[in-house]
Amino acid sequence: MKALAEAAVDAALGAGASYADARAVSLRRQYVVTKNGNVDDLSDTESEGIGVRVLVDGAWGFAGSGRLDESAARDAALRAAEFARAAPGRHQTHLAPVEAHTGVYRTPLERDPFSVPLTEKIDLCLRAEEGMRHDEVKVTVAMIRAQHEHKVLVSSEGTNVEQEIYECGGGIDAYASSDDVSQVRSYPSQHSGVSGQGGWEYVEELGLDREAPRVGEQASALLRAPACPPGRTTIVLSPEQAVMQVHESVGHPTELDRVYGTEAAYAGTSFLSPDDLGSLRYGSERMNITADSTTPGGLGTFSFDDEGVPAAREAIVEGGMLRGFLSSRQTAAQLGAGRGGSMRADGWARMPLVRMTNLHLEPGEGSFEELLADVDDGLYLETNKSWSIDDKRLNFQFGTQVAWEIKDGKLGRMLRDATYTGVTTVFWGKLDAVAGPEEWTLFGLTNCGKGQPGQEAHVSHGAAHARFRDVEVGVSA
Amino acid sequence: MSRGLDLAEAALRASGGDDAEVVVHAERSGVARFAASIVHQPTLIENAVVRVRVARDGKIGWAATNRVDSGGFAEVARRAREAADSARPDPNFLGFAPPAHYSDLGGYDEETAELGAADQARLAAAAIEAAGGIGLYGIYTSGVTEIAVASSTGLAAEQETTDAVCLCLAADTEASGWSERTGWRAADVDPAEPAREAAETAARTRGGGELEPGTYRAVLEPVAVADLVRWFSYDSMGAQGFLEERSYFCGRIGEQPFDSKVSIADDALDPANLPKPFDFEGTPKQRVPMIEDGVIKGVVWDRITAARAKNGQVSTGHAPPDAWRFFGPVPTAFDMAGGEASSSEELAEIVGDGIYVTRLHYLSVVDPRGGVLTGMTRDGTFRIRDGRIAEPLVNLRFTVAISDVLGDVPGLSRDRRLVNLNDLYDERFAHAALVPAIATGHFHISGTGSGPGL
Repeated sequence: MKALAEAAVDAALGAGASYADARAVSLRRQYVVTKNGNVDDLSDTESEGIGVRVLVDGAWGFAGSGRLDESAARDAALRAAEFARAAPGRHQTHLAPVEAHTGVYRTPLERDPFSVPLTEKIDLCLRAEEGMRHDEVKVTVAMIRAQHEHKVLVSSEGTNVEQEIYECGGGIDAYASSDDVSQVRSYPSQHSGVSGQGGWEYVEELGLDREAPRVGEQASALLRAPACPPGRTTIVLSPEQAVMQVHESVGHPTELDRVYGTEAAYAGTSFLSPDDLGSLRYGSERMNITADSTTPGGLGTFSFDDEGVPAAREAIVEGGMLRGFLSSRQTAAQLGAGRGGSMRADGWARMPLVRMTNLHLEPGEGSFEELLADVDDGLYLETNKSWSIDDKRLNFQFGTQVAWEIKDGKLGRMLRDATYTGVTTVFWGKLDAVAGPEEWTLFGLTNCGKGQPGQEAHVSHGAAHARFRDVEVGVSA
Repeated sequence: MSRGLDLAEAALRASGGDDAEVVVHAERSGVARFAASIVHQPTLIENAVVRVRVARDGKIGWAATNRVDSGGFAEVARRAREAADSARPDPNFLGFAPPAHYSDLGGYDEETAELGAADQARLAAAAIEAAGGIGLYGIYTSGVTEIAVASSTGLAAEQETTDAVCLCLAADTEASGWSERTGWRAADVDPAEPAREAAETAARTRGGGELEPGTYRAVLEPVAVADLVRWFSYDSMGAQGFLEERSYFCGRIGEQPFDSKVSIADDALDPANLPKPFDFEGTPKQRVPMIEDGVIKGVVWDRITAARAKNGQVSTGHAPPDAWRFFGPVPTAFDMAGGEASSSEELAEIVGDGIYVTRLHYLSVVDPRGGVLTGMTRDGTFRIRDGRIAEPLVNLRFTVAISDVLGDVPGLSRDRRLVNLNDLYDERFAHAALVPAIATGHFHISGTGSGPGL
């Protein structure tokens, strides 16, 4: 793969590129899904190819080929250069400097998830499903996934890095229904479970079968729970819902390509401007957000991003103030600050984009119970169900699978169909407590969409329980 | 291209006599993506994916590869076989689809197929030029897609299609407007048209005002209608959501919760859409009425869900591509009947007092069984006063029950627009909705967002 990437870069330079990089990628994914006691999906897919990115007269070009041979690699380089040369517009592209790196990275793991027999995975899924069976639970689903990505990045500036990344994960869902009501309860999240970088030990630690009885019981109980009433109240977000809030209302708006408008037509832009760096109050003093591509077990963990920029841990929001953006070499140069480090591509057939890596809400102090103790009347919101936010990432509305009343500092009865809504900076301004490190949990999501053609990024977020005052809840049609 | 069936049959031979089905999904495409009137992310893709599904003693497993040579075929067959051997017998598997006759529906245009990088860049430039002084954001893309299915039942199906799409956001910091064109002939997609329309809409959005939350009458342009129907369909119009009791249609077949002017079918056989003769199991596609004259008629099916129904239901030809398999069968060629109104302006007259919505953003399903969705408006939201499209509004958050929105439809436009539904994730699978603009008596605004513009 390394020789092919080098050949592609040579070909691009020969075709007049002032800069070129090539990523040769081999990707394998495996899914085991059981539903209602049957194997619903047992799949093993692989994809390999090379993606070549070039700068010609300041214009980008990109071409991908699904053949890993030298002629395809060179041909992709020439096609990328042709596209760049034809691209209309006044192009001026500057890249923040990066030292040329060579290196190798491999996910630390104990047990290769692909070495685990499929029958063992099926058995775990079926055990978890069995545990979810409960009155009125009509559908149970258990899923386990594994992924192995081997990629080589070579650039015309001398970068030559090889990375081998293993991911695995899983999740369970119970769907209950009666009359006109349908409810779902999931663990650890509704978004195809959760995943982490690591080996089979990650899936074992999830305890899917251990949590299954609670998930089934709660799905059934939701059918009889009253709907969340409208009003304004104090809310406490579970760590899983808190990471969704971080993802949508901090992660995406701090992507510098959105700030500069290059995602405007599809994913949208950002309410932030470059001038806000260092001066914008994003939230309360309790709000500390960190981008960390070195987090052990994170889906956004690597040694080098897809431009060859080394991994790092950087503040995005500190004490409520905007301190950083997620950037590429190009957007960092445009800003005149930062170094890039967030460029990631979905496989070989897509151009790298500015993406989240691992973005965390840093822990505060105290336990979950201590957070609740200071709430006379409020809601505890658990497990994301719906999510929507405007194109500048200001107005959002989330729904959760379950809400629990908080009365006099204690959890009370269950409510269904809970939603809450707000405006990003106003909402984060109402953050008055984040639980301590012992409550902090890392969640890996595999469905972050962006770009045209579309790309799905795998990102992780860590958060503990978080409390917000005076929030609008119970939005309905 | 045009070698999909050869590849499928070669992969089938490599499966070593097992009961097997092979799907080849190949594409050659270019996307000229532009922002601020500059093509900044041009992407060319060439790829072919071969999926082998094997049945052994009623147990199913599948594997896929893009290594389209004998070594790749042998390996993918081995992994599919290993998966099948590890599975449990699937009581809902009734065998792979039998051979069938497929209609020639068109959907392939040589001129479109021959467009290369320089052409895609030129057509993007034409859009940019037509937008005038305002910045243009979006894509011009064209491509060739080939889908072939071969199986041990003797089934052999192959279709090569083309498509061209131009999506245009005209915007500056205080204004934004949207328009788009889609077709299977590039000649039907003049990039200057949506660029001009987007610029004209944008020019009217400066100074968008706030709106009190509440329920309003509204005009929804075809792009907004298509997005609403698509998101509603994920749980409600496919067999999986129906069987698993998440669908709004559950228990309501034959009832009339929608306005009698509302009829929605899925019709991939219509050459005015992006026609497709068969699905990803090789089953011939059927036109499926889902809502007819306001009455709920049914959902779309593939072979597995049809078997699961245990009532004699057959596949309607809606097996999805691999990437969507967790949704089950879903409509991909919406066909919504038009009405009598000659224009969106006439629909505004019908509405009288309300809001005008060009495009929606970031929809999400709040309550699938209730058919409740939320999302934002963007790129052309206006007040309607005295039957005329009036001052611009900021982007609005809506939280609506589809039964409310489509339950009171005082008018629909006669003309329908083919709206792109392909977000270009995974392998290229062009699909679209042929829908009118509608007037609705019930569109619930639950909040306000940012102003128009970047």
